[in-house]
Amino acid sequence: MNNKEQINKLIEEALNSVDLIKQAEVKPYLLTRINARMNRETETAWEKAGRFIGRPAVAFTGLCMILLINAIVFMYNDSSTPASANEQVVQTAADEFSYTVATIYDFENSQP
Amino acid sequence: MNQPELIEQLQQGDESAFKKLVDEYQDMVYNTALGIVQNADDADDITQEVFIQVFQSVSSFKGDSKFSTWLYRITLSKALDHEKKRKRKKRFGFVQHFFGERNEEQLHPPEFNHPGVQLEKKERANELFHALKQIPDNQRIAFTLHKLEGQSYLEIAEIMNTTLYAVESLMGRAKTNLRKELSKYYNNIPEQ
Repeated sequence: MNNKEQINKLIEEALNSVDLIKQAEVKPYLLTRINARMNRETETAWEKAGRFIGRPAVAFTGLCMILLINAIVFMYNDSSTPASANEQVVQTAADEFSYTVATIYDFENSQP
Repeated sequence: MNQPELIEQLQQGDESAFKKLVDEYQDMVYNTALGIVQNADDADDITQEVFIQVFQSVSSFKGDSKFSTWLYRITLSKALDHEKKRKRKKRFGFVQHFFGERNEEQLHPPEFNHPGVQLEKKERANELFHALKQIPDNQRIAFTLHKLEGQSYLEIAEIMNTTLYAVESLMGRAKTNLRKELSKYYNNIPEQ
């Protein structure tokens, strides 16, 4: 038998190898596993959300995000407060126009 | 309890009817899934998903086709979805492999041994199952249903929602493509 014939024989054997195949058996307690899975899938939205947030990767990412937002807010506040310049302008304007805020004490003290 | 009664009770949410359904059809669903995904754990997972979907959507079964046909369709759709997900994971696994995260089982899944194959035919059957993974989905489905599930061409036509002629053609092309794949494989084996 030459090589080609041998290969054709192997191909036919492979194609016919599943002719008398028996059914594979399912692992035991299938119904129990199905019921457990159905119970898992019917948990409430809050339970699902809790489980999602409780995952280490999600919790760690959330914590990092909070720290990052805090850091950004802190840096922004720190650099954007040349408040003294604004206060100076307000003070100059107040001085120039003699603008003062009258309080109840000023009214009381205005009487001789 | 006959089948229409069983379906009616299932539609009313009867748990004992569901148990009966699982007992009756678990082998059919599991073996069909196993023939497609070629992995016992994945086939078990798909079997569970199929029965959950049946329980949740049995009210939509109108009886236009046989109940087993409906069940076959759900099983095949789940098994093919599973295959797509696995292929996506495999591609992602290949990327992970570059970054040093190895998952050898995902990249090189172990050879599939169907437990129902006769011992003396195991080697040839492994080669056939490997070749089956290389042919188009519809040809693989037709071949699997006919050879592993023992379905007639007419039943396959009903399950695949196509004509008898189309199934005959699919089977013909499946065999041609399998011959090609097997020939490639046997030609590359070094002579001993």
